[in-house]
Amino acid sequence: MTAAVKIPSSSKAARETLLSRAAKVPPAYFVFVILLVTLWLTRPQMININVMGTFIRQVAPLGILVLGQLLVMRVRSIDLSGAGVVLIINYVISSGILGDANAGLLVIVALAIGVSLGLVNGLLIGKRRASAVLVTLAVNTILVGVVQFLASGKPPGNVPDAFGDVYNVKYLSLPSPVIFWIVLTGVMAVFLSRFVFGRHVSSVGENPVAAHFSGVPVERTVIIAHTIAGLMAGIAGLVQTSSLGVGSIRFGADLPLEAVAATILGGVVFGRGDGGVWGPFFGVLSFALLFVVMTSFGVPDAGKLIARGLIIMLAATYYGLRTNS
Amino acid sequence: MEPLIRMSNISKAFDSNVALDDVSLELASGSVHALVGENGAGKSTLMKILAGVVQPDGGSIHRNGKAVHMRTPKEALEYGVSTVFQELSLLPNLSIAENMYLGKEPVTKLGRVDCATMESLTANAIAELGLDLDPTTLVSELSIAERQFVEIAHGITADADVVILDEPTAALNAADVETLNRHIRSLRDRGKAIVYISHRMEEIFEICDTVSVLKDGRNVDSCPLSEVTQQSLIAMMVGRDINDLFPNKSVGTGESVLTIKDFQVSPEAEPLELSVHKGEIVGLAGLEGQGQRELLRSLVGQHQPHAGSVTINSTSLPIPVPQTGGIRLLQSMGVGFVPEDRKDEGLFLELPIGFNTSIGLHSSKSELSWAQGHHKTVAETMSSMAVKAPSADSLVSSLSGGNQQKVLLGRYLASEVEILLIEEPTRGVDVGAKAEIYQLLRDFTDSGGAIIVLSRETIELIGLCDRLCVVHDNTIVSEMPAAEATEHKILDAALGTQTSAA
Repeated sequence: MTAAVKIPSSSKAARETLLSRAAKVPPAYFVFVILLVTLWLTRPQMININVMGTFIRQVAPLGILVLGQLLVMRVRSIDLSGAGVVLIINYVISSGILGDANAGLLVIVALAIGVSLGLVNGLLIGKRRASAVLVTLAVNTILVGVVQFLASGKPPGNVPDAFGDVYNVKYLSLPSPVIFWIVLTGVMAVFLSRFVFGRHVSSVGENPVAAHFSGVPVERTVIIAHTIAGLMAGIAGLVQTSSLGVGSIRFGADLPLEAVAATILGGVVFGRGDGGVWGPFFGVLSFALLFVVMTSFGVPDAGKLIARGLIIMLAATYYGLRTNS
Repeated sequence: MEPLIRMSNISKAFDSNVALDDVSLELASGSVHALVGENGAGKSTLMKILAGVVQPDGGSIHRNGKAVHMRTPKEALEYGVSTVFQELSLLPNLSIAENMYLGKEPVTKLGRVDCATMESLTANAIAELGLDLDPTTLVSELSIAERQFVEIAHGITADADVVILDEPTAALNAADVETLNRHIRSLRDRGKAIVYISHRMEEIFEICDTVSVLKDGRNVDSCPLSEVTQQSLIAMMVGRDINDLFPNKSVGTGESVLTIKDFQVSPEAEPLELSVHKGEIVGLAGLEGQGQRELLRSLVGQHQPHAGSVTINSTSLPIPVPQTGGIRLLQSMGVGFVPEDRKDEGLFLELPIGFNTSIGLHSSKSELSWAQGHHKTVAETMSSMAVKAPSADSLVSSLSGGNQQKVLLGRYLASEVEILLIEEPTRGVDVGAKAEIYQLLRDFTDSGGAIIVLSRETIELIGLCDRLCVVHDNTIVSEMPAAEATEHKILDAALGTQTSAA
């Protein structure tokens, strides 16, 4: 009945646009403001660039991982292999498996690992049409297994000093990982809004069939998105390793789940990118702020875990809301 | 005299789309009542309300002067209204008899289904329609025409006073149509009221005695069929004189730009040939599902043909065209494919007009190139196509069907293609926008473009095209200049020389 006429009901239409506009503001901004106000009212002395910088520095790896996550989610895919990628990069750097390689070479190797794993994910999902959840979870499990096998259960060793040195640099009181994260987010924002690739991503996310009929290389877009997500996971691995300073064979298992949650809180759901790149950025900041607030209230670790779970649940509920409408 | 059924002031809206607005209809006993109108005029919705499938928002239904409420199809059936819908609704894995008595199976004293009775009743019913079929045959083994007959038998044996036939002849050939008409006349003579929905003018004038015209969900007119001509009826349906609807024919054609040779859509199909020239609009006509869609989609890799060769501007196309890269390959050769289903296959509804238009220009670029705004191209396209929207930033979902279709066409025109392959250029588009779209397509060919178009609406093909190819059984069976074509001629060709298994 497409030829039919619209009901003239301006008040109804106005209400709907207001509601739909409100629904388009990513919840991350609300959560961030609420947490910030809470902190300002109760512990104003915490709002200080040095204190905050230290906390925000800890979520920088998550923030970088989220840059990849939002990209794959916008082309209706998902990447749950982030934890495994971070883990294997940590192992390669801290175990001395490459002998006396200098830091530069280690960085290149780490990025190459990230890119190749992303490409594998992309090829399996884009070309072979395998389930993204299963493929990336499987890749994650394989990577965790490989690290455990190589390490034979022992923590690998120490990270070369150069990594820690770079990690602890501050510029204008901002820790280097935070600056790096902000710059990377800006680069991603420009890449998505100003380059043809961004148009391809938007079209595939909105309607893959229409994208195909418009001449958009749908398969290639999915593969590239996953490859970039792999690169981001590689960078996240480098930052995470620098922050730890030592090798470890178990950490970061929650990373992919948190990355998905922060992305959704940031307004990016499967196929839709209303939150852009900065929505998920504030999603990650919210996680950092939550940690600050709870620490300042003396909430024990168990409580923090529960609160983090609640935030993820909030993201899931919001996701359901957005996708059903 | 009080009519058998009186539907008064019926209104119905789906979300914000008004499907029916204050529509009335009277059905008399012993009459065959044609219900006509363009696609989307509200015919099917009105009949679904009478059949209890859809509940009206307002209005009333009276049967023999008594108000009735039909809340379910079962209630409608109890009031004597029986429907044969245009969608085939038989269950393929049940037998004919099981389908006919689904939900109302006769039972024996012990409560078991009485198969023998069911089968003999079914055999009688289908014999009445002149069919010779075993009631235990599975529906999946029947031809489309046979299925349609079983569906009709199912509808009209329900001992109803009102029988609604929604496009009953869509899958029938001439002989089958005559059988059906004989049956309709006998129902009429027994005092039943028959509603006959069809797009085929000849059939309407052959079998009906009264006609009601709907347009955009409103009554246009209701009168005895003897008071109208085919021309005046079409004018009522489209809301204007038919000559104002279509642009002029081609001013002359140039060299061939697309040539199809020895082309077999499927392994069993007869090879076909087709060539399209500069400045020409070629239409593919025929009954639904005869392979015209597959032929067109083969050219862009969305169907795997059996064999053949295709040359575009003296470059030959690899056959089969690759499925994933086909659209892009053809785009690089200057060919745009406009899919039929603009909502699912064509547009990005929740993205702005500007995005929808410029994506055709972006898609051929490398991922790492700068995404130009193309504001000028978008603005020019919007104004040349007369897209009615506040700005290029308006979401496509906020536009009317006609404007959406223009945005879709605009994407391909903006990307400077030379050949357009179009499925259903005006589906679900109001008549004003139709005329505009026809003119745009003609402007495109007048400036050297070429078009192959596919449509279910024969009137549209005759009016828009220069040359028509009638497709039957996966091959082109007839070719004629559109100026000489009539619905009757096309139908004759489309039904094919061989009669179907029925």
